[in-house]
Amino acid sequence: MIELKNVCKSYNKGALRAVDDLTLAVRPGEIFGFLGPNGAGKTTTIKMIVGILAPDSGTIVIEGLDNRKEPLACKAITAYVPDAPEIYERLTGMEYLNFIGDVYGVLAGVRTERAGRWLDVFELDAVAADPIQTYSHGMRQKIVLAGALIVEPRVFVLDEPLTGLDPRSAHHLKEAMRSHCDRGGTLFFSTHVMEVAEKFCDRIAIIHRGKLTACGTLAELRRQAGESESLEKIFLELTES
Amino acid sequence: MRRLLALLRTGLRQNFALALLKHKVLKERKDIWLVLLAAIGLLSLLPVLWGYVTLLRHIFSILKPMNQETALLTLAILAGQFLILVFGLFYVLSAFYFARDLEFLVSLPARPFEVIGAKFGVILVNEYLTVLFVVAPVFVVYGILAGKPIGYWPLAAIVFLLLPVMPLALAGLLVMAMMRLVNVSRKKDFLILAGSLTLMTITIFLQLGLASNRNPDELMKFFTAPDGLVRLVGEKFPPCIWASRALAEGSSSVGLVSLVLFVGVSIGVLLLLLLAAEKLFYRGLIGLSEMAARRKKLSKGAMAKGFSRVRGSGQAIVLREWRLMNRTPIFLLNGILSVILVPVMIFFMVRSESGSMTTGILKILGSGNRTAGILFAAVFFIACGCLNGTASSTFSREGKNFWISKVIPVAPARQVMGKFLHSYLVAVLGTLGGSLAARFALGLGWQIILPAALLALTAGVLFTAVNMAIDLARPLLTWTNPQRAIKQNLNVVLAMALDAGIVFAFYYLAQFLRQAGLDGSMLITALFVALIVLAATAVFLLARFADRRYATIEI
Repeated sequence: MIELKNVCKSYNKGALRAVDDLTLAVRPGEIFGFLGPNGAGKTTTIKMIVGILAPDSGTIVIEGLDNRKEPLACKAITAYVPDAPEIYERLTGMEYLNFIGDVYGVLAGVRTERAGRWLDVFELDAVAADPIQTYSHGMRQKIVLAGALIVEPRVFVLDEPLTGLDPRSAHHLKEAMRSHCDRGGTLFFSTHVMEVAEKFCDRIAIIHRGKLTACGTLAELRRQAGESESLEKIFLELTES
Repeated sequence: MRRLLALLRTGLRQNFALALLKHKVLKERKDIWLVLLAAIGLLSLLPVLWGYVTLLRHIFSILKPMNQETALLTLAILAGQFLILVFGLFYVLSAFYFARDLEFLVSLPARPFEVIGAKFGVILVNEYLTVLFVVAPVFVVYGILAGKPIGYWPLAAIVFLLLPVMPLALAGLLVMAMMRLVNVSRKKDFLILAGSLTLMTITIFLQLGLASNRNPDELMKFFTAPDGLVRLVGEKFPPCIWASRALAEGSSSVGLVSLVLFVGVSIGVLLLLLLAAEKLFYRGLIGLSEMAARRKKLSKGAMAKGFSRVRGSGQAIVLREWRLMNRTPIFLLNGILSVILVPVMIFFMVRSESGSMTTGILKILGSGNRTAGILFAAVFFIACGCLNGTASSTFSREGKNFWISKVIPVAPARQVMGKFLHSYLVAVLGTLGGSLAARFALGLGWQIILPAALLALTAGVLFTAVNMAIDLARPLLTWTNPQRAIKQNLNVVLAMALDAGIVFAFYYLAQFLRQAGLDGSMLITALFVALIVLAATAVFLLARFADRRYATIEI
């Protein structure tokens, strides 16, 4: 469960409001899609949820824990994948996964099983012993995802996770996320792909210029927008300048 | 040419982060303190500058009666050019081959010589800042004391502006030739390291070779002949003689010929670099980031073995630091390798005449005044262990990967202690190397080395914590060129300045304690206790600071 209450974040001494009084809740077992145009405040919101940025005001609660007051406990139950796979290029894939396993306290047996599974699913098992520097963009994205998946946290926060993934890996990731949420976990993810949001998400929020413009199931969004058309059309209407 | 200028303008703005600084200071109104700090830093250099100028005036007054005052110019030019050649090797290697903007630059419709020309220009501007404090005061002191006419000053400006061109272009040519050879191999990282060390060794030996010995009769000839000392200093590197004569002789025929030679050769070497860039640059660069990969599917057994070793979070962080530092050639050259190189260089330097003089002084210090010997050796060990930038770039080195440190469930204090252990390990290795050099190259006794090493190891805790705190206060995380994270990082310079301040404070404390009547052993013990207290406090405060600071670093 993730709850954001009146969260604000501004830059340039308040001149630029990146996130403006954002309030939303992601329930357990829910796949929550976060949409918005470029520069709408999606990544800023995500970075505040995982503790990379501090909100100017408001609270963010993850599984009942305030992420400012109990940051370590929140981090221990959250896995984050950024939009750009900036990662330790000089480590091998296996060393990176071991580092993540060590800092999240994943036991050896569990780590071996999960790492083996995800390296196989993402077809990284042939490169696990090679430096990440030798990986393509998509492979880097997959090793960061594998790092998040071996932790098996309660909450996944993924910033455009499908960008750069091949269709097979995207399919496996979506299946894994569905199964994670069916077990009561939470997934908060941002995307630009309307089709994915439409088919994959239980609920969707649309943010525009830092403000929440719509939030609900696809049916609810259609009702709010008075549209019976696609999510793309609703999105375009809600985010029109 | 227009493309070259556009690339140069963009490169300079990127190098000095002008847009970012303007945005932070003027728009976000952040980092204003940094501007103040830089101003204070510059002001604090004034006393040092005054001391330097006084020394130069003194040297001038000694050389003048012998008609050898022009040697002051030759010495300054030679020192400046060698400084640029040695440091330039790293700058050039990093800027030409490891900057992250290269993939973008290569894709532009620009010729290799334009890319190299722009990169060369950026390094050149950086080098002006380096030599400004070494060479410019000499030109000014000489100009005033020799009563040079007004025509001297534009000549001095021309020589100053051209001073770094030749050594940097030579460094560029050497590095491009090396990288062309390295890029055919699969073991690129190893060859880059080996090649860089070889080039550095060659330049250092060249420098030592210049200080070759002569018998007293030969030396006397140089002192009695007009301009003799200039020839003695610059005989193995004639451009220094040309530059000195261009300044000293002014509009005379000797002066003009020297100026034409200096300007012509500088521009000639630069053109050679640009020409070589067309032939060598892309061949050395393209495919450089492609590393040898095994691409071999792991067996179940190998997988189980690979994931079987579970470590604590602190241990995992130390291991990460160690691997990232030592597997990045630029970081390795400035870390472990630099602490190994210092003792090796000392070993070779003491083989020279001036070196044996140093050994003699040290022996006298060691035998005559044991306390002074211990303190002197301790400062030397501290320099060996702590002046390498490992601690003062520990956060900056993470760059854009710092998001990982922000999201992992490990308390910042614990993360920082992991980083501390890694940096301190490098300091310990430096102290160890310094101790071995002191024993086997300088011939100091263990009775001096052991207490000095103990002091240095304790001081290492203090300096590591202080240096890390400086980098934590303003980590440079947006670099595109790893060189900027360590070699061109202001934090490293600030840390060195602060370290020097602490050493001076301890020097005055030692003076005070001696005047208060403490004998040698008591004085060393008192300093040791003071260092322990300060070191423990610094580590405690660093951990507290980390918990507060990590939350506010935004990336």
